[in-house]
Amino acid sequence: MARLQLKNVNKRWGSFIGVDNFNLDIADEEFLVLLGPSGCGKSTTMRMIAGLEDVTDGEIILGDRVVNDLEPKDRDISMVFQSYGLYPNLTVYENIRFPLRVRKVPKEKHDEMVMKAIHMTELEDFMHRRPAELSGGQRQRVALGRAIVRKPTVFLMDEPLSNLDAKLRVSTRAQIKNLQSKLKTTTVYVTHDQIEAMTLADRVVVMNAGKIQQVGTPTDIYDMPANTFVASFIGSPAMNLVEGALEGGTFTGEGIRVEGLPTGPSGNVTLGFRAEDAEIVDTGGQISAPMYSIELLGEASMITWRLGGALVSIKTNKEYRAEIGDVVQASIPASICHLFDTASGERIAL
Amino acid sequence: MSSKATRQPPTIRIMATSFLVIWLLVAAFPFLWTLWGSFKVEGDFFSKANWANALFGTLTQAETGGSFTGAGYEGAWVQEEFWRAALNTTIVCVFVVTVSLTCGTLGGYALARSTHRYAFWFLLFALMFRAMPPITLVSGYLLPFFEWNLWGHLYTTVIVLVAINQPFTLWMLHSFFKNIPKDLDESAMVDGCTRFQAFRHVIIPVMWPGVITTGLFSFLLAYNDFAVTTMLLSKENQTMIPKIASFLGTTQTKGNVMFAVSAVVSATAPLFVMVMFFQRQIVSGLTAGAVKG
Repeated sequence: MARLQLKNVNKRWGSFIGVDNFNLDIADEEFLVLLGPSGCGKSTTMRMIAGLEDVTDGEIILGDRVVNDLEPKDRDISMVFQSYGLYPNLTVYENIRFPLRVRKVPKEKHDEMVMKAIHMTELEDFMHRRPAELSGGQRQRVALGRAIVRKPTVFLMDEPLSNLDAKLRVSTRAQIKNLQSKLKTTTVYVTHDQIEAMTLADRVVVMNAGKIQQVGTPTDIYDMPANTFVASFIGSPAMNLVEGALEGGTFTGEGIRVEGLPTGPSGNVTLGFRAEDAEIVDTGGQISAPMYSIELLGEASMITWRLGGALVSIKTNKEYRAEIGDVVQASIPASICHLFDTASGERIAL
Repeated sequence: MSSKATRQPPTIRIMATSFLVIWLLVAAFPFLWTLWGSFKVEGDFFSKANWANALFGTLTQAETGGSFTGAGYEGAWVQEEFWRAALNTTIVCVFVVTVSLTCGTLGGYALARSTHRYAFWFLLFALMFRAMPPITLVSGYLLPFFEWNLWGHLYTTVIVLVAINQPFTLWMLHSFFKNIPKDLDESAMVDGCTRFQAFRHVIIPVMWPGVITTGLFSFLLAYNDFAVTTMLLSKENQTMIPKIASFLGTTQTKGNVMFAVSAVVSATAPLFVMVMFFQRQIVSGLTAGAVKG
């Protein structure tokens, strides 16, 4: 149970910058997700918290002590690895018991603690098997069980679901969420999957190229992306982004014209809106252009145009039919639009 | 049950089987011949009159009254005290294997986990030293060993053999360790181990096949070594291989050659037992390094 602070944390390898001036204050019991594309420094950040990677600069404060120079074992954390990191020569029971054994927890407590972790991860039927005899999902649960068997101050999870198949990922995700809310342990979770981030997190940290792009609740990040990177990373499909010019409250781009925007800013801007907010109309739409493709998603259809260099998609009802090349119109009211400065990518406050 | 598609044509099968049988005979023949001949007298095994004497033991019958005689073994083990050489070999092998495995596992692990570039160059240099014929090193050792009064002792030989074998053990163990995912050490360290505890409690148990295979190879190198042992050991400290060579060097005395033959059989037998005993570990060890899981 502890607050975890990162102050001006940097990680450099020679001239390569892995993590650039990372500042974050993680509250006790919070579920924090580090989200970003591969190579963005999210795993490095987590490994620095764990002590598996040295901090080049800055401080990591766990509870009330600076842990920069502590060995991983002295930081009182537990970690779930992407490849599970189970001990192949030990049974499930012994794997989960391992942290208790090396940390010299009194022997008579072991069985009770291990059995509790086994119940929480529903591994009763497999406890005498070795990791090689388990499926991927079961192995992942053993790794989880080993992490929760003692009460660490912080859980670290490094892409724990990425080796599982899609269906299992959904159920294990729910299990992780449930476990964390029961255990009330501060958790840092690394993923590149924005759906995992949205469903699990109390707060999401979006990272790119070693820098924090935005910190906020999943709703904040979805509704108010701080820049075009976040806008294009969050949501499925990602936010549509069209470059164009803003003049007197009117945005004009190739095949698109939106009126009623704020009159203050002007110049080159990027207009963003979400596929699910816009709708297809017969006349008077802000987009009017030949359709590029139509995809059936099951519950909806996705209509795509090519506007300038960008592909723009919106969702419509599943019965909608049109031929590729037909001119199709869509209504993009100013109320669903986000504006970003094209040069810097930063959000323009409306 | 093989389907038609995977079944081989009969000619191929016959050829494969006969090749295997011939190969087996060719490979096993010298051993079997020596084993059989070691129970004969010299006149039979090295018969100038008729090679078949070695098979039927004509002279053996004439000299000893039976088709088989243990005279060669008795001469080698009792008269020439071959047991002393066997004991020396045991001592040398035990120490060489222990020392080179201890240094090899620790060093191999460190090199496998090191992120520094010098680890690579270190291994490359190790390989270069391994490629050198041992005799080139030994000739250099002789003078200082005489001067410092180190020549002739078993422990000197152990040190030299370890030095010669270490590059190989390092290489082999290094590649075994490389195949063990780093996540394993890291989860152990997060779970509460120091680096050394992670090595001792988590990595080594997974490494057993690799350690046994490497240990066996370095055992064989020590066991079969001739160049180093023959140059660096005094007569009373000789191990088995130079001892056998010295039996052969004294062909003037009748019967001494048979001592050599019996000694060869005595020296080979433990190897068979050893390989049989460890065969499962060796197989898994040899393949473990081959394919990246």
